[in-house]
Amino acid sequence: MALLEIEGLTVEFGEVRAPLLAVDDVSLSMDNGEIVGCVGESGSGKSVTALAIMGLIDFPGRVRAKRLAFAGHDLLGMRDARRRALVGKDIAMIFQDPLASLNPCFTVAYQLAEALRVHGTAAERRSARVRRDRALELLQQVEIPDAEARLNAFPHQLSGGMAQRVMIAMAIACRPRLLIADEPTTALDVTVQAQVLDLLCRLQQQQGMALLLITHDLAVVAETAQRVAVMYAGRQVETGPVPGIFAAPQHPYTQALLAALPEHNRDRARLNAIPGVVPGQRDRPAGCLLSPRCDYATQLCNDESPALEGAPGRQVRCHFPLDGEGRPTRGWMPMMHAAAGAD
Amino acid sequence: MTRPPPLLEVAALTRHYAVPRGMLRAKGLVRALDGVSFSLHEGATLAVVGESGCGKSTLARQVTMIERPTAGDIRLLGEDVVHADRATLKRLRPVVQMVFQNPYASLNPRKNVGTLLEEPLRINTDLDATARRDAAQAMLAKVGLRPEHYQRYPHMFSGGQRQRIAVGRSLMPGPRLLVADEPVSALDVSIQAQVLNLLMDLQQELGVAYLFISHNLQVVRHIADAVAVMYLGRIVEYGPKAMVFQRPAHPYTRALLASTPSIGAGARRQRGVLTGDLPSPLNPPPGCAFHKRCGYAVERCRGEAPKLEALGDVQVACHRAAELAA
Repeated sequence: MALLEIEGLTVEFGEVRAPLLAVDDVSLSMDNGEIVGCVGESGSGKSVTALAIMGLIDFPGRVRAKRLAFAGHDLLGMRDARRRALVGKDIAMIFQDPLASLNPCFTVAYQLAEALRVHGTAAERRSARVRRDRALELLQQVEIPDAEARLNAFPHQLSGGMAQRVMIAMAIACRPRLLIADEPTTALDVTVQAQVLDLLCRLQQQQGMALLLITHDLAVVAETAQRVAVMYAGRQVETGPVPGIFAAPQHPYTQALLAALPEHNRDRARLNAIPGVVPGQRDRPAGCLLSPRCDYATQLCNDESPALEGAPGRQVRCHFPLDGEGRPTRGWMPMMHAAAGAD
Repeated sequence: MTRPPPLLEVAALTRHYAVPRGMLRAKGLVRALDGVSFSLHEGATLAVVGESGCGKSTLARQVTMIERPTAGDIRLLGEDVVHADRATLKRLRPVVQMVFQNPYASLNPRKNVGTLLEEPLRINTDLDATARRDAAQAMLAKVGLRPEHYQRYPHMFSGGQRQRIAVGRSLMPGPRLLVADEPVSALDVSIQAQVLNLLMDLQQELGVAYLFISHNLQVVRHIADAVAVMYLGRIVEYGPKAMVFQRPAHPYTRALLASTPSIGAGARRQRGVLTGDLPSPLNPPPGCAFHKRCGYAVERCRGEAPKLEALGDVQVACHRAAELAA
């Protein structure tokens, strides 16, 4: 049984008659101890997916799914009290901006102990002394220098990298089985980013927890994750193993995104930009969401939305998935290319 | 062959800020820039890279004449900027323009695109309304926007389009130098590529030089001609792009390159080559500012700050650069 099972997850906001589909039919499963990356540009629904797993989508947002289960327990059907016992303990999350996530009014020790007081072992729930010892141990585990002194520090006294380490310490305080990291290194400098990514991978291995790494940075996923789901405008367009998906992307969006990276345009004057912009709430195309920006879009793509197809673990949502050479298959012909309104 | 005099020449540029630390304590001194020298020729791109707090943005504020430096020399088109009077500064300001990081913050939401584009002309030139309007329309076309966008307001545009507007506005006074402070950091990858292409096209067309400030080495590697790597207010390595990227001489440059994630490098390599954070600029370590994080530091690095010295085609501030290059 998979640790996390998501099938047909949909999150919508706004009016019932004309909803904004922030997440549209996402399916993903994660096993114990696996690192899965979730990449996409802004507005692709990656953070909302994470919030839906955590149960943090408030009214008027609406979460629906064919199945949303953690370790076999249905997350959507369970009572709130039961879910609260699970979230924060077995599923933990860290956010992008550590200094905005920490409470500026309380010390590091207090905030670390707070999680232990609610979710900790019997001894931790009973004794402040035990909690403080555990907090110190956690800070040492995330390699904060001079951990003893940092216990009494307030968040404003920490650097960005150190604050993110405190957030990680807090998240792993109850030894979660699944850690969701939403852009954990985006706010950090590149040398500190490397340290924090290393730390996350090391903790993941030591504790055998699963890690869902949400990021906009393809390179971070390429170096860290075992599998990756690529999102576009709320839909999952491709799922596959690393590095296979980067070597031979099957969806034109993944291909175009990779081609747009400066890294893949060495010694070339121009970058391969993707024309146009991500569709918003009001200009969502009827067919494939990428069709106005896709190099291969046909009339079929403009009219009909493709389904997510393929074997489990290697899925793609495209009428004409790309082959190993990066060319569209299934009888795609250049003359079928309907000059879609590119910008 | 003699090269023409550089468009911008910066020598030993220093900018210190006094920081109050409470009533009874002496004021702290932040050496945001400490003896920075470089030059930039017409139509070329110099990238300044470094982590937060290294002085990149302070450098931009001095070059754009927003602040006067504490010491040192800035020459623009051969003219002394540091000691210039108001009239000279007014004359020189249109020559240097700036593009900021966040196009959601740098455009006034209450002005339409036409007004935004024309404002620099209204302030700096005596063109009449029709001429300004024509210039704004021409600029819209140049940065890849449509004529009907003239009437629209910033909130009606996406991030990439806003950055196009910001670039267009900065080009209105006909600058020779554009200081771009992290111009693509706030944009998504696909949009980032569009804006970088635009910047390169404009450089070809107009021959404008860029001082390109960025923390993203992959972007710098694409766009720059020369690279200056900064650490805590000083340049630690400065040279042509190819040299700096292929044979980084300073241990910090090496660490930066090794820390930058990349798709091609294969999964899960050893990343964390540096330990610790950037030291506080209020209290920098003695000697080489990098020695506490440097794997090659020796006794000399702790006591004596290295000077920027030529090593082959690049300039490096490291006591052991020659030894490490061998």
